[in-house]
Amino acid sequence: MKWFLPLTQGQKALIRKDFYQVWKTPMLRNTLLALPAVLMVVMPVGFLVIACLAPMKDMNGMEELMALLPQKAKELNERQMMFYVMTTMMAPMLFLMIPLMSSTVTASGSFVGEKEQGTMESLLLTPMTVKEIFRAKVEVCVRLSLLVTGISLVLFGVTAAVGNMILKMPFWLDWSWLVVIVLLAPALTVFGVVFMVLVSGRSKSYMEAMQTSGYIVLPLILLFVGQFTGLFVLGPLALAVLALVIFLLDYGLFRIASGKFTPEKLLKK
Amino acid sequence: MTGIVAKGLSKSYEDTQALRSLTLEVPEGGVCGFLGPNGAGKTTAVKLFNGLVSPTSGECSIMGISPSEDPQGVHRISGVMTETARMYGQLTGLENLCFFGETAEMDRGDARERACELLRWLELWDARDKKASAYSTGMMQRLSLARALMHRPRVLFLDEPTSGLDPESAQMVNEMIAQLAREEGTTVFLCTHQLRYAQDVCTMYGILHKGELLASGNFEELWKQAGCRIWAGVRLKDGSGPVPGMVEEDGWWRKAVNSEEEMPGILENLIKSGKSVYEARLFYPELEQVYFRYLEGNVTDGKAGVGA
Repeated sequence: MKWFLPLTQGQKALIRKDFYQVWKTPMLRNTLLALPAVLMVVMPVGFLVIACLAPMKDMNGMEELMALLPQKAKELNERQMMFYVMTTMMAPMLFLMIPLMSSTVTASGSFVGEKEQGTMESLLLTPMTVKEIFRAKVEVCVRLSLLVTGISLVLFGVTAAVGNMILKMPFWLDWSWLVVIVLLAPALTVFGVVFMVLVSGRSKSYMEAMQTSGYIVLPLILLFVGQFTGLFVLGPLALAVLALVIFLLDYGLFRIASGKFTPEKLLKK
Repeated sequence: MTGIVAKGLSKSYEDTQALRSLTLEVPEGGVCGFLGPNGAGKTTAVKLFNGLVSPTSGECSIMGISPSEDPQGVHRISGVMTETARMYGQLTGLENLCFFGETAEMDRGDARERACELLRWLELWDARDKKASAYSTGMMQRLSLARALMHRPRVLFLDEPTSGLDPESAQMVNEMIAQLAREEGTTVFLCTHQLRYAQDVCTMYGILHKGELLASGNFEELWKQAGCRIWAGVRLKDGSGPVPGMVEEDGWWRKAVNSEEEMPGILENLIKSGKSVYEARLFYPELEQVYFRYLEGNVTDGKAGVGA
């Protein structure tokens, strides 16, 4: 597939139409709006409030938690440490759920929604090639997911910076965060889209597809739980390796998904 | 150039043979009525002609372009309306048409102009800004037809375009099809159950049953092959019968003839024999009659067992 070629007029029209349709579908729109708000504002703010107001004497497990942290964090006081744990251990995993979920949600609307409405056949009857349609749809999902991810990052950046200032602690952004933003988030965006294309053949409605997509969030949750319980802590290098593995997986799955995107398979009931 | 060509075109789905060795030619500018009951394979043929499915064997071409090799080339010159190719419910009628116009490589201005023209022509102008999901079945059918016509196709595939339409709308769609063929030279492939309308607009027919083409050709060829006849009929003054060589049916004295040329002679003889002729007409076979004759298997080796 020639991804470097400029988009055709038909592809541009399809991208505009898909953006509009996602926006006009309340379930999809609300999910895309709620994801950044809940994961990147409500939860960090809640944590900040607890860190600022909770009586530290009554908090259990602080010593165990401190043992898990790197040397530089050991100089922090208890309140700062709580917020540090949130910004460096919890938030990256929550943040990664955004590209993954927003891409699967968008792809469910864009690919499965087309099938659900019976409009895929109309689209396949246009002079656009099936590869052009595939590319346009993948671009819609990736662009929208990256937009939501970008907005989430800004929201979290502001929330975390405010928390850093209130608690008088170092700025939240570190090497692990950079790997998460630059490598892992795009890798998971593509993974979400490709996964949804693969399951779209079996899903009859975008709701069903969205439910299926829940399975791919599970490994991320396990990663989050593992880090938080002290089982392991992923440093920047481990995260970069993880991103590389996901990129390789993306490539393989993308080729399979692209090969399966044929009129005959798409129109199969 | 031949508009549509199929040579030994077959399609199987797992254990079902949807189409068996279809061989057919539709001349450019012709209107082919593709007739057959549900499940006969009409929609499969349309999908094969447009490259949406690949043939199990055989080949076809649309204006010389093979849909298997260049489906987009076929889509550039053809418009397709099927029951399963729907419109976007969240977009208005006008937005739907503009979108499909742009996907067909029309620039925005041209697409909008063409969409407005079609919406007026198909009497959807007043509903242009309504969401398609609010359209009635008939309006949706007409909107789908407008989609198929957006890029001024040279070949039009219509799968049951008048199903669900009220008689006025059906009449309008049929007039439109006839006009497209007559004035713009559009080749039309019309799959339909509505035989009365088909007879008004089609220049040739294909009769399909269980995936097999039972007959094809113009109407005269079909009815002759089916063994149907033209009947000369006269209505006489009460009590004028019996008339030698004629049989009475529903108040008409009728006789099978080979051509309309025989009618003046029949009338001359009747008048000479002192019969009072109130009315005279020729009864031509109707498509419905011919169609059922083929479907009921009354046609063997191109000849019917009983005259119609």
